[in-house]
Amino acid sequence: MSSTAPQLRSRLPRLAEAAVERARLTVVPRRRTRAPRVPFVTLVSTLLLGGVVGLLLFNTSMQQASFAATALEEQATNLSAREQTLRMDLERLRDPQRVAEAAKRQGLVIPAAPAFLDLDTGKVTGNVAPATAAGDTKITAPPPGRPAELDPEPVRLEPRRNGGADEKKQKQHPGSSDQRDGQRDGQRRR
Amino acid sequence: MSRQRRRGRFRGSPHFRLRTGFVLIAIVLSVFSARLVQLQGIDPRAYAQMAADEGTVDVVLPATRGDILDRNGVPLADSVDGLMVVADPFMTAERAPEIATYLSKRLGVDYFDTLERLRIEDSRFQYLARQVPATLAKEVVADADDLGYEGISTRRDPVRAYPARDVAANLVGFLGTPRKNGAARALAGLEDTFNGYLAGTDGEARYEVGAGNRIPLGDNTVTEAVNGADLTTTIDRDLQWYAQRLLRQTVLGARGDSGHAVIMDSRTGELLTVADYPTYDASEPYETPAGEGLYKSAALTDVYEPGSVEKVLTLSSLIDAGKVTSRTRFRVPGSLERQNRTINDYWEHGLLNLTLAGIVAKSSNIGTVLAADEFGRGELRDYLTRFGLGQRTDIGVGGETKGLLPQGALWTDQTEDRIAFGQGLSVNAVQMAAAVNTIANGGVRIDPSLVKGSAVTGAGTEVGSDHATRKRVISEDAARQTARMMERVIDPEAGVAPGAAVPGYRVAGKTGTAQRVGPEGGYDGTFTVSFAGFAPADDPRFTIYVVVHNPRNGGGGGSVAGPAFSKLMSYTLRRYGVPPTDTRPSRLPVEW
Repeated sequence: MSSTAPQLRSRLPRLAEAAVERARLTVVPRRRTRAPRVPFVTLVSTLLLGGVVGLLLFNTSMQQASFAATALEEQATNLSAREQTLRMDLERLRDPQRVAEAAKRQGLVIPAAPAFLDLDTGKVTGNVAPATAAGDTKITAPPPGRPAELDPEPVRLEPRRNGGADEKKQKQHPGSSDQRDGQRDGQRRR
Repeated sequence: MSRQRRRGRFRGSPHFRLRTGFVLIAIVLSVFSARLVQLQGIDPRAYAQMAADEGTVDVVLPATRGDILDRNGVPLADSVDGLMVVADPFMTAERAPEIATYLSKRLGVDYFDTLERLRIEDSRFQYLARQVPATLAKEVVADADDLGYEGISTRRDPVRAYPARDVAANLVGFLGTPRKNGAARALAGLEDTFNGYLAGTDGEARYEVGAGNRIPLGDNTVTEAVNGADLTTTIDRDLQWYAQRLLRQTVLGARGDSGHAVIMDSRTGELLTVADYPTYDASEPYETPAGEGLYKSAALTDVYEPGSVEKVLTLSSLIDAGKVTSRTRFRVPGSLERQNRTINDYWEHGLLNLTLAGIVAKSSNIGTVLAADEFGRGELRDYLTRFGLGQRTDIGVGGETKGLLPQGALWTDQTEDRIAFGQGLSVNAVQMAAAVNTIANGGVRIDPSLVKGSAVTGAGTEVGSDHATRKRVISEDAARQTARMMERVIDPEAGVAPGAAVPGYRVAGKTGTAQRVGPEGGYDGTFTVSFAGFAPADDPRFTIYVVVHNPRNGGGGGSVAGPAFSKLMSYTLRRYGVPPTDTRPSRLPVEW
């Protein structure tokens, strides 16, 4: 197709050369459409700003959650400590010794032998006797005995046989003196 | 004009300005790069570590120590969060008197001691109070802050509580003051044997903090703590409590030295009670006057000669071997010469015509020796070994004794005669209870157990009721005949221990009065009295064994241990709702 152009040109009369010259097709520069810039810039800056603000908010809320978590953890620790303390108090109250002492104060005694009442037949088996405090078991520890230091052997003085000239110089019984020495030794060792 | 030009020329000379600028920049950059080389080239790790440490927190996540529970899930030992209150004397010295007053009021610590600690020089760490319940400690420290007292803080310090105090303390043991890192220091009993099982493994958390709060996206690694497992024992706490009180009354009443009481479930071998007297308060172990000697389970660690209680093992073995029956007749002389030693009975008598049941009921040493003559050599020892004597029960208590059953050349005819009636061999109380329980359980010995289910000891062995084995020792018939003979012991006319009877129930039992071996070896003239028995005799549910060492009131097994047995048995039967069997008691003839 391109080969037809010179032929055509040569066939045309020279007369209209100027017009032809004028009418020759030339490549025109493509026309650029200028889109308005404002919406795009707005969009981008909105996105950016939104992103930044969003991230900031997200971060803040995470921090907030972290604060809350710390506070709640603290609270949980306190509460569980409290629960444990209360449970310990409860265990102390359930101590069999305490319960038994309380029961004893109210006049309860441990029965001697069990008896059974069958609710269906009304039959009683076992040894039926009222419980008495007579043979009751002592549930409290005996008070501590007096320490030996507070309970020394009595000092025995023997009257002199040969009618005492000087009574102040009374002789001690040798046995008791030995005993006291022994006791003193014991104390020293202690 | 010219000056201005000169200045203008300087300013206007771009080359000069450029050069000066470059030189300045180069100087600054070389300083930077020198610093860079210093930081990155020389020991970069230390700096990286320092940077990481700045905001990183390492926390130990403490594992909770497992509880020690009784058979009903009631805690014998449990763990409570605790804190120690510590002071930095550097900060507290100035206001020490005020702080000491405050703390002695709130925490009950000694004023002078605290005052001294608050003022110690060159120290930045002093304990003020240990093992304070967490709530109280935090409250006190917070209030101290409000009052403006500085330098007081808290640290972890777990509290081990023994709510029942001395009940089962002999078994449970106790923990000492924790180590500095909060780890437990097990000192005795089950706490010690099962320390690894109870302790668990501490976890660890590592995270970054800012202003006291965790940074959400920072480094964060958590290894969760593995809590210790609970140890469930077969002990019944309330029953143990009663047994300990009764035992105390019995031992003190007889003016004895010490005693044991063991209650065993006849069918399962589970130990409901292992009581010792004297014992200590596990919640205040250091307050007990007798102190360290008591931190043990004497019923397992102490040996003694069982005396006549052992006769039931000898005689039931004889019946099992087919040598005698409960009605076999014996002529029992007043004394018996054996290898130039005389064997006597505890009471003076002439020639008696006793049946085997009579020998049991009257507790005749001579009769027992005559009956045991039927044994071939070594037969008795085999039987006793199968009853579990001379071997540890391995129920999970440390320091248990094997007891002593002579063997080899030491097992002479003379020894055999004496062993037949319970002298010349040693046992521990649980061992003996398990042996008597064999008769209660129809001739099948069950390993006693203290741990319900299964648990691993520190030595790596698994113990517990899941591992209890059953082994037939004597025939069911032999066990039944022996039980019927033992019933005659309680009989007011035929037997020696009417005080052991439980009204309304059939009770089988045997008294024991044994000579004690003194500290120098050889019998020292003191006695061990005991009573072992089970009820109901025809369908045994519980085997109870009461032992009192060295009673000084002249009592024997029947008069000292018998009544205690009776009370304990009736308490146990009532507690577990065991009705009387309503059958006719044994009427075996004792004489002929």
